[in-house]
Amino acid sequence: MRIGNRALPVGKISLLIVLLLVGLVAAGCTGISGSPGGGSGATITDGTIFLSPSLKQAGGFGCSTPAVEGKLVAVNAESGIQRWEASLGGAAPSGGFGCSGGATPVAVYGSPALFEDLVYVAGYNGKVYALNAESGALRWVYPREGNMQPIVSGVVVALDKLYFGCSDGKLYALDAATGDMLWEFTTGDKIWATPVIDGDTLYIGSFDKKLYAIDAITGEPKWEKPFEAEGAFASTPLVYNGTIYIGTLDRHFYAIDAITGEQKWEKPFEAEKWFWTRAVAFEDTVYVGCFDNKVYALNALSGEKIAEFDLEGPVRSWPVLAEDRVLIATEEGKIYAIDTANNQLGLFADLAETIYAPLSLNEGILYVYTQEQNLHALNADSGVRLWVQPIN
Amino acid sequence: MGIGDIWNLIAMQPVINTLVVLTHFLFNNFGLAIIALTLIVNGLMFPLTLKQIRASKAMQDMQPKIAELKKKYGKDKEKMAREQMKLYKESGVSPAGCLLPMLIQMPIWIALFQSIMRVLAVIPENLAGLSHYLYSWPVVYSTLPLSNDFLWLNLASGDMFLALLVGASMWVQQKMVMTPSPDPAQKTQSSLMLWIMPIMFAWLSLSFPSGLALYWVTSNLFRIGLQYWIGGWGGLVKSSPKRDSDRDKKYKQRIAAVEGVSTGGADVVPSSAREEDVSHEESGVERPDSGGGYPKSLRDTKPKSRRGGGHRRKRG
Repeated sequence: MRIGNRALPVGKISLLIVLLLVGLVAAGCTGISGSPGGGSGATITDGTIFLSPSLKQAGGFGCSTPAVEGKLVAVNAESGIQRWEASLGGAAPSGGFGCSGGATPVAVYGSPALFEDLVYVAGYNGKVYALNAESGALRWVYPREGNMQPIVSGVVVALDKLYFGCSDGKLYALDAATGDMLWEFTTGDKIWATPVIDGDTLYIGSFDKKLYAIDAITGEPKWEKPFEAEGAFASTPLVYNGTIYIGTLDRHFYAIDAITGEQKWEKPFEAEKWFWTRAVAFEDTVYVGCFDNKVYALNALSGEKIAEFDLEGPVRSWPVLAEDRVLIATEEGKIYAIDTANNQLGLFADLAETIYAPLSLNEGILYVYTQEQNLHALNADSGVRLWVQPIN
Repeated sequence: MGIGDIWNLIAMQPVINTLVVLTHFLFNNFGLAIIALTLIVNGLMFPLTLKQIRASKAMQDMQPKIAELKKKYGKDKEKMAREQMKLYKESGVSPAGCLLPMLIQMPIWIALFQSIMRVLAVIPENLAGLSHYLYSWPVVYSTLPLSNDFLWLNLASGDMFLALLVGASMWVQQKMVMTPSPDPAQKTQSSLMLWIMPIMFAWLSLSFPSGLALYWVTSNLFRIGLQYWIGGWGGLVKSSPKRDSDRDKKYKQRIAAVEGVSTGGADVVPSSAREEDVSHEESGVERPDSGGGYPKSLRDTKPKSRRGGGHRRKRG
């Protein structure tokens, strides 16, 4: 083989190929970042929005690394102007071009929870923070020393207790005022879903493919045996009229008796892809979005499909019920409104930004936090944008 | 449909789903699935690998002759290049024989690499993104998400021991295919490659999830085994005329044995033709000059059976 009058420099080309291979191998993880991005939904109370911004991904060599430390932000709900921000600490980017992440940044996936004068968030770094809702001053952190495994689950507060699931497969109950651990409940695999509380019963799904009903006071299981599906639970259950509605990674959507843990429908509803988001219910209909780009309207009693809506994008964020309309967003940033009276679908707003975080509704305003680090406030009736503020 | 979609359709999706299914059937053990898939892919690419090994070996065997050419025409680069090409042509050795199989294998390795990264899906964004690559097979949906535990390893994190193993196995594998070159420039380049690549991959292994390192170690061990089966320990043991002769003999036997298995065409002469040449050398019968004008010492490289009409005249 020749190039002009010169012999092909095989050795050099081999070296070049190998280096190219290394480069491509490194570049192979582009889009497969090992660093958690986080980005919580907004929690609103008394005119203040609390949220934890996503960690913007900075392009490294092949892999992305988090550029900033995690934080919790309080924003004026009327104007979008920031009231305070509190650092949750965090580690410097790991550097290099590996994808394993190295040090763990404080990404927050679950929406903050509020109780009395405290606001709570749980971080992917394996810590739970309680801060003063007025000032952002840190009240306590759990655990006080070291870190737990990553926490993807959101936190919920009830009965003076704070509950959250952890990647170590355990559900924890802390004293909401002091951060002292009260009890823990062990499942067979990671917990990423946010628990839900109905009365004194807590429901939580785990990657062990089981859904548990637990006494929220004692931490003891309530059902004779947990409900078992064919796939892992990554979504949060909806408790409605004595029934738990939940989708799983086995592509099925289940209705389970809240008292006995028995399946209610003759057979679960089957979609084409995973269920990741929580459902909403209106009268006798349950609405649930799916990764197959569709929203399904199902009969809450029988599981029969009433309608399906093609949104042309996967649904990851939690929907909300705005009076008699279901507002639901696709990952691509389109928000749709489903009229529950006639099951008609209409485009509500197109933000053209990535939506992972749950939608939040408060006093006629829909709040949407996007992965582009913008907080949008939209009129829940018209979809008109009231304001947008970068929160980073 | 963009190039990314085509890549996902023909490369990523099949590999990802195969990995998940293998995990299901290998006791829900993702580490075993990585090892199994690496071995399967290596097995499927055996003909290409063999072709590459043979071409590399032929190129290495020619190094003394190239060094001699350099000594003779070193000052005239133009002439040197011409003579080098003539030598390749005469010997039936194609430099592209080393490169083409490597180029063909590259996309497969990259797909395997990316798939392992995707399937590991440690953070929520990655797990959610994985759903776009899955076939509608119930076994896939019931197996995910996968556990990252394998032996002492968390397959999603880097591991020092495995990183060292990657470097060491890569060094051994490279050393086995190396033959001492009389050309100092070639020697320097070879030594550089021998150390740079293992160090670089060991460092990469430490930075990437150890699932990848497991794939690299398995792949390296497979190639070490293949290399040993074909040519013994190669450059790992000290060179001696007897040992070299035994090794060459073994190499020829192995190549002859697998030729029936390999479907790839040879870039160097078939073993039968080599034996023929060797017998001429041994019998002391001088070959008629084929026009290359090389001294006798340069004429003992192995000729290639010519394609497309031209054939070597057999001596009576």
